Amino acid sequence: MNAEAQTPIGDAWEPNILAFCCNWCSYAGADLAGVSRFQYPPTVKILRVMCSSRVEPAFILKALKDGADGVLVAGCHIGDCHYIDGNKNAEIRINNTKKALGKLGFDKRLRLEWISASEGLRFSEVIRDFTEEIKKLGQNPVKEVKK
Amino acid sequence: MSNVQSCYQCGKCTSICPMRRVSKTSPRSSIYNANVYGLESKDIWTCLTCGLCPQECPQQVDFLNFIREERQGKQPLDIAHLGVFTELANLSSKLNGNIADKPADSKIGFFPGCVDSLDLFLHDVKTNFGEITTSSVKLLDKLGMKPQLLNMKCCGHDVLWQGKKDIFDALKAHNKKYIKESGIDTLVTSCAECYRTFSKDYDLGIKVVHISELLDKLGLKIDADVTFHDPCRLGRHMGMYDAPRKALTANGVRIKEMEHSRENALCCGVSNFMNCNEQTKALRIARMNEARATGAKTLITTCSKCLAHFNCLKTEKDAVNKYDFDIVDLSVFLARQFGEPAKKEQASAGSSKPEV
Ligand code: SF4
Ligand code: SF4
Ligand code: SF4
Ligand code: FES
Repeated sequence: MNAEAQTPIGDAWEPNILAFCCNWCSYAGADLAGVSRFQYPPTVKILRVMCSSRVEPAFILKALKDGADGVLVAGCHIGDCHYIDGNKNAEIRINNTKKALGKLGFDKRLRLEWISASEGLRFSEVIRDFTEEIKKLGQNPVKEVKK
Repeated sequence: MSNVQSCYQCGKCTSICPMRRVSKTSPRSSIYNANVYGLESKDIWTCLTCGLCPQECPQQVDFLNFIREERQGKQPLDIAHLGVFTELANLSSKLNGNIADKPADSKIGFFPGCVDSLDLFLHDVKTNFGEITTSSVKLLDKLGMKPQLLNMKCCGHDVLWQGKKDIFDALKAHNKKYIKESGIDTLVTSCAECYRTFSKDYDLGIKVVHISELLDKLGLKIDADVTFHDPCRLGRHMGMYDAPRKALTANGVRIKEMEHSRENALCCGVSNFMNCNEQTKALRIARMNEARATGAKTLITTCSKCLAHFNCLKTEKDAVNKYDFDIVDLSVFLARQFGEPAKKEQASAGSSKPEV
């Protein structure tokens, strides 16, 4: 117990990111990143949804409340959504959620990205970049308060 | 503790219950199940906590308290919008939150409530909830009060009635500390739910005032016919029927009462963001029809949630153009008489307009 507490946080703690990827583009993009062996940190847990607009603000808030350090919502580029304009609705929703989170100082922990099925490289870059940003922000404060 | 043991099963509550008109809900039988079998019935979740049945009860059974206690720690059947407001309250209850940095010069505090999150998460209801805050502050300024805007967490009304007392307690502890630090001696709210919660579920030791109690001194001369919807939290829960009416009539407004008003007012149907379904939609339609029948051009209320649910009905496909009256908050209605809503002042710094 004690030994653990003494290890510097930087070594012990890795961000825990939840990524909602739409089935038609971003999930395939993540798949391509894997198949092409683009390296990205193991900080992300991918959840496949049919469209980025399936992601309700309630899902995001719940993930953060339960201790996720970051939430990524990824969908097709504007104009490419399988359901025509699902991602436009998602953009409004996610941006509004961001504003609501801003009041709690959580806005940087939510990201919306457009990643197409051919952008495996971009997927790995986004994850790397987001992981770095979350590392700078530190752990989700919900966990600290809990202790 | 509620006194359900004294219920003698006359069934008056079930006969008055608005939910009974549209479903098989029975407050009588939920008490029976609890008293006789110690069973939980599904009806504890369909109750709107509108407060109509306790008024009728010959035994003075405290039904609202019974419902609230029965719900504690259980999972609600359904929460509208997948519980986004509950999740938000839950998340913020787990954080430290800010505390008033310095006691401000004003002894009067105004709490805007959750209008910001209503604006953000109900953007398709097409209502500017933030205007309630700007308008209220503007009116208080006109009355020479210069309130301090309180940046507290959610008052916890919804989570308390949804059976999540642990979240409520965390929010309450924070807010009480905030109020103490801010040094105010009067707390003004515009939302009926905040008013009820701060008055009855917090023991603040300071004066809690609903804004409608102050607005009769504005001295406006408005030539308009309106109708007024009593929010259950302001009316039956707090017994405040005259103040909002006086705020209107003292400023020249004529009120055309609906068929059911004051003690008998019908509920908007979606209290605590629970029960947004076909049954409660029927209740909302019934209420909107009553409002339309008065012929008034404006429906006024003082609860941001009633405002949301009524305006939401207006945006539904089968209701478009059916209801050609405006539905506005009391403060917004009065403040608009001073000219168009001012640009977002510093007063509403936190509030943001929906993008669409
Ligand atoms: S009205 Fe009162 S006494 Fe009669 S059934 Fe309802 S709770 Fe019981
Ligand atoms: S409080 Fe209202 S909705 Fe609930 S049982 Fe009584 S009358 Fe029905
Ligand atoms: S009636 Fe109220 S709870 Fe139901 S969808 Fe509309 S705003 Fe949401
Ligand atoms: S299907 Fe990819 S964003 Fe809608």
